[in-house]
Amino acid sequence: MEALKLWNLTSQPLKRHLLHSTTSITSYAFRRTPRTLLLRSSSSSSSTASSSAPDIDKPTGAASRAAGRNRRAPASPTTSTSDREAVRAIRLKKVEELRSKGLDPYAYGWEKTHSANQLQDIYRDLGNGEEANGENDHVSIAGRIVARRAFGKLAFLTLRDDSGTIQLYCDKERLIDDQFEQLKAHVDIGDILGARGSIKRTEKGELSVCVLSFAILTKSLLPLPDKYHGLTDIDKRYRQRYVDMIANPEVADVFRKRAKVVSEIRRTMDSLGYIEVETPVLQGAAGGAEARPFITHHNSLGRDLYLRIATELHLKRMLVGGFEKVYEIGRIFRNEGISTRHNPEFTTIEMYEAYSDYQSMMNLAEEIVTQCALAVLGKLTLDYQGVEICLERPWRRETMHNLVKEVSGIDFSELGDDLEVAKKVTLSTLGNNLDAKDKASIEACQSVGHLLNEVFEVVVEPKLIQPTFVLDYPIEISPLAKPHRRSIGLTERFELFICGRELGNAFSELTDPIDQRGRLEDQVRQHEKKRAEAASRNADKKEGTENEDDLYEVTLDDDFLTALEYGMPPASGMGLGIDRIVMLLTNSPSIRDVIAFPVLKVQQ
Amino acid sequence: MASPPPSSSEAAAPTPTPSPSAATAQALGGELSKNALKRELKIRQKEEERKRKEEEKAKKAAEAQNAQANKPASADDEDMDPTQYLENRLKYLAAQKAEGTNPYPHKFSVTMSISQYIDKYESLEKGEHLEDVSVSLSGRVMVKRPSGSKLVFYDLHGGGFKVQVIADASKSDLGEAGFSKFHSNVKRGDIVGVTGFPGKSKRGELSIFPKTFVVLSHCLHMMPRQKSAAAAADANLMKDPWVPGKTRNPETYILKDQETRYRMRHLDLMLNPEVREIFKTRSKIIAYIRRFLDNLDFLEVETPMMNMIAGGAAARPFVTHHNELNMRLFMRIAPELYLKELVVGGLDRVYEIGKQFRNEGIDLTHNPEFTTCEFYMAYMDYNDVMGITEQMLSGMVKELTKGSYKIKYHANGIDKDPIEIDFTPPFRRIDMIEGLEKMAGLSIPKDLAGEEANKYLRDACLRYDIKCPPPETTARLLDKLVGHFLEETCVNPTFIINHPEIMSPLAKWHRSKPGLTERFELFVNKHELCNAYTELNDPVVQRQRFAEQLKDRQSGDDEAMALDETFCTALEYGLPPTGGWGLGIDRLTMLLTDSQNIKEVLLFPAMKPQD
Repeated sequence: MEALKLWNLTSQPLKRHLLHSTTSITSYAFRRTPRTLLLRSSSSSSSTASSSAPDIDKPTGAASRAAGRNRRAPASPTTSTSDREAVRAIRLKKVEELRSKGLDPYAYGWEKTHSANQLQDIYRDLGNGEEANGENDHVSIAGRIVARRAFGKLAFLTLRDDSGTIQLYCDKERLIDDQFEQLKAHVDIGDILGARGSIKRTEKGELSVCVLSFAILTKSLLPLPDKYHGLTDIDKRYRQRYVDMIANPEVADVFRKRAKVVSEIRRTMDSLGYIEVETPVLQGAAGGAEARPFITHHNSLGRDLYLRIATELHLKRMLVGGFEKVYEIGRIFRNEGISTRHNPEFTTIEMYEAYSDYQSMMNLAEEIVTQCALAVLGKLTLDYQGVEICLERPWRRETMHNLVKEVSGIDFSELGDDLEVAKKVTLSTLGNNLDAKDKASIEACQSVGHLLNEVFEVVVEPKLIQPTFVLDYPIEISPLAKPHRRSIGLTERFELFICGRELGNAFSELTDPIDQRGRLEDQVRQHEKKRAEAASRNADKKEGTENEDDLYEVTLDDDFLTALEYGMPPASGMGLGIDRIVMLLTNSPSIRDVIAFPVLKVQQ
Repeated sequence: MASPPPSSSEAAAPTPTPSPSAATAQALGGELSKNALKRELKIRQKEEERKRKEEEKAKKAAEAQNAQANKPASADDEDMDPTQYLENRLKYLAAQKAEGTNPYPHKFSVTMSISQYIDKYESLEKGEHLEDVSVSLSGRVMVKRPSGSKLVFYDLHGGGFKVQVIADASKSDLGEAGFSKFHSNVKRGDIVGVTGFPGKSKRGELSIFPKTFVVLSHCLHMMPRQKSAAAAADANLMKDPWVPGKTRNPETYILKDQETRYRMRHLDLMLNPEVREIFKTRSKIIAYIRRFLDNLDFLEVETPMMNMIAGGAAARPFVTHHNELNMRLFMRIAPELYLKELVVGGLDRVYEIGKQFRNEGIDLTHNPEFTTCEFYMAYMDYNDVMGITEQMLSGMVKELTKGSYKIKYHANGIDKDPIEIDFTPPFRRIDMIEGLEKMAGLSIPKDLAGEEANKYLRDACLRYDIKCPPPETTARLLDKLVGHFLEETCVNPTFIINHPEIMSPLAKWHRSKPGLTERFELFVNKHELCNAYTELNDPVVQRQRFAEQLKDRQSGDDEAMALDETFCTALEYGLPPTGGWGLGIDRLTMLLTDSQNIKEVLLFPAMKPQD
């Protein structure tokens, strides 16, 4: 591979003796470069942006007070503002000292020969107290100093890079020039160092780089949080993810695994002949799901646009256009509350395949999730929050009717079409196990199909711990799915549940444009009805925003309907929630653990 | 036969549905507010108007084509008024449903793709039939040629390939009467499944002879007709396939009208087979970048598209609102600051391929959402990154063009000869200030931040008659001069390097040239394709640069950058020396697909609302 050669491509050796007059920059006058379509343009964003820029890094008053009462943990992230400022001041002084000596506290690069892990691997068999000092044993590494112990003429630093850690063994006798003095005077925990030297395993068995020379590559100004006392402030962990990652290297592993999952999904799709495409995020109508969309405004078009709530309708248009297997991995946006399972933006894969039906999508779901599990865990059993999950195929496939009957004893196939009777039976059967909210939801159901689904959600969903495909959803709640070829009132649809959570949703796609138009128009009508009710309730309450959920507008995607009229081949499609797959495979309790920068409430 | 779908009773109303606006208005009248109703009606009216116009257009086209093709007028109903055509199709479907037939079957088992079929049976002799073989193919009927009531020829398209279907009553499992009735209802544009045996016609065309023939999905509209059915029928679509690096000419497409092509991409894809190759190329470009970076041990990450602050670039952002959190959010204009935070966190090599959003006008090179790749690589500088850029782009061009570093591109319009662009590494490098001084015979004052330099550059612009709309800042004046003297020379890939600090607030000062930064932009065909630098990682200097931005805004520059406090704090924890890089994927795709309009490379480009 041509690309592989680049692995060793490194920067020019560090020139340490450059002088900078740059700290005295006073007259920068940045202007935006001419408008470009691209990237990274050099300056400035909008004026509107800054006016709202909250100073989210500022410790809250409460945090400062807490730190004030508990002054004995000065290196923890709850360090009070004054402590932080003191550290910063000392270190800024070190920056000046380095510069005055002709050293660069912010270097331009470093020629690395190995990663920490590579060295641990290569010298695995080096005995305690042994040194490797051949020509090939002169190595160069770089990373962050995360621990430091100094004794008279000896100092031990722990250096961590992307791959792992290694010790720097710094012996005054071996270091060139006055570098040992420099080490003691100027190197702090948190600094990024480059070091060259030979290899030695200490008597205590610690593999070390026996340092000949080193350079401070980046001087850090703030103290690292103490790993053991930890970053216990969960909110701060998410807000300053980089601190979390420095303090807890295993956090970065979640993101490595996430990358692996996404890459494995891509590999699986590509090997099956699917083509990856990109469809718009900004849309004139937000279709393909029922959810409150984000609204924005395009100035030069002078029109409001929605952020997509699904990729479904555009991908189906690709099938009309003659692509037979397409998928998109991308961000979806829903203007809904945040929780351990919900972030306003999240990542899904949606895939569509012509001439297939929902049965084949079940096989594909099994294939994708098991491949991901093997890539990340190397096995098909896993522990999720104390529960053992077995992903061995085939997974259970059962109809929604049977599952509801199994768990609740209510047989909806015998209940018939009378909604009131069905509600009575449901309430009398489940009555004692329902809380008020569930009862209200059941009372509010507009059809037997809705009722079935409600019962399913309340009593069955939490019990679906091992992988289960729930089949054949009622038509009333499945506006984009094809009517079931045998069972009237149902659709050819399934959802995949693991650990009581929905991971996927798939159907034989509805291809009949007349049926489709009717169902979407129905959906709009139902929504408008709810909206009108909510509006009048709110009007009664005057200031109520409780039911605001129903107040957004739902529009019909006419371009999609027109496309269907040109004929879409029989097809099936599936959406999988990538964040939820990653949560499952990394044993993460919250979606915030698998999203690098989750949305959080505004700090006071 | 499957029982009729339960919902068909409402859908299959015996008469064609009344005008949808009337129906919806009635249905919604009770619940909608007056304004909403008005809006709804307006949208409906517009939609109907649009449809009417479209239909008129199609009608005119059909008329013109019918005049050319001296076919029997009744052959395919195609002389019919498009509205009438649609109504007939709807009636037919309703009748099918009423009979208990599901006109949209759930599943058709395809045994091979058309391209596999061609590979397997292309070698048959003229007139050879393999009657004991059974194959099931599916695709869209693009040409229908009846030859009496017992024999119909179809062209079946699928996956960019085409095969002939010879439907012969004597070989069909329908009776003769049934055969003729059935095939009179198969229309151009229908999606069909055929099961039959392979063979070649007497004239030597590979065909399939179906025993069964099922319509899987119906085309309710009259398809725009191919200009020359004969020409299209002759050669297989992919005999001389377009490959990246070759020129394209959309003027020769069956469907030419740009508005229709971009608004109804499904039609574009159906009728213009090259279009699918554009999007396959786009997919291959992105796959190549991923593979290239993955091989260098990069980690692909996802950073937020909605932020409290829109940082990392100069552009007007989209604004939106999170209801429950009651929070104003901006769509990202660049992922730069988040990606650098991850490098601070210890992910030494990260990249993100994703959408950026800019609330700006729409033109030949700008769409409100577009795709970029950015990567950040610890311990590297801009020299290393230039090397990586050369390897990535030259390698990509060579792979996609199947062996050449050179591509053809209609830089001067489709009616002029295409130019050749050569991606052979290494790429040319021009030092920005030195190059400008040399090309323009200037001697620019060294202190670029000073008033003297500003005056000097103003004079230079005057002398060369180069317009710079106000404000005439030094950065803008320089940019105009560079555009005029340097960028114009950058047809083959060229790095313009070492931009002044005043133009580059996130780039690190140059290690040996005061006042400049370690930055490069890659230009190809006079357009910026990449932008990269040794990242500024001194938090003190970074804060100063943000402060200057603030000053600029106070003095009237309404697009100066907001201070991102989280980012600055991250730098205080220490960002290793890092090389960062951004690439515009849409622009790269334009180059490799000979596209002059960004809408050619976006499946669903943003379009102005229709009147």
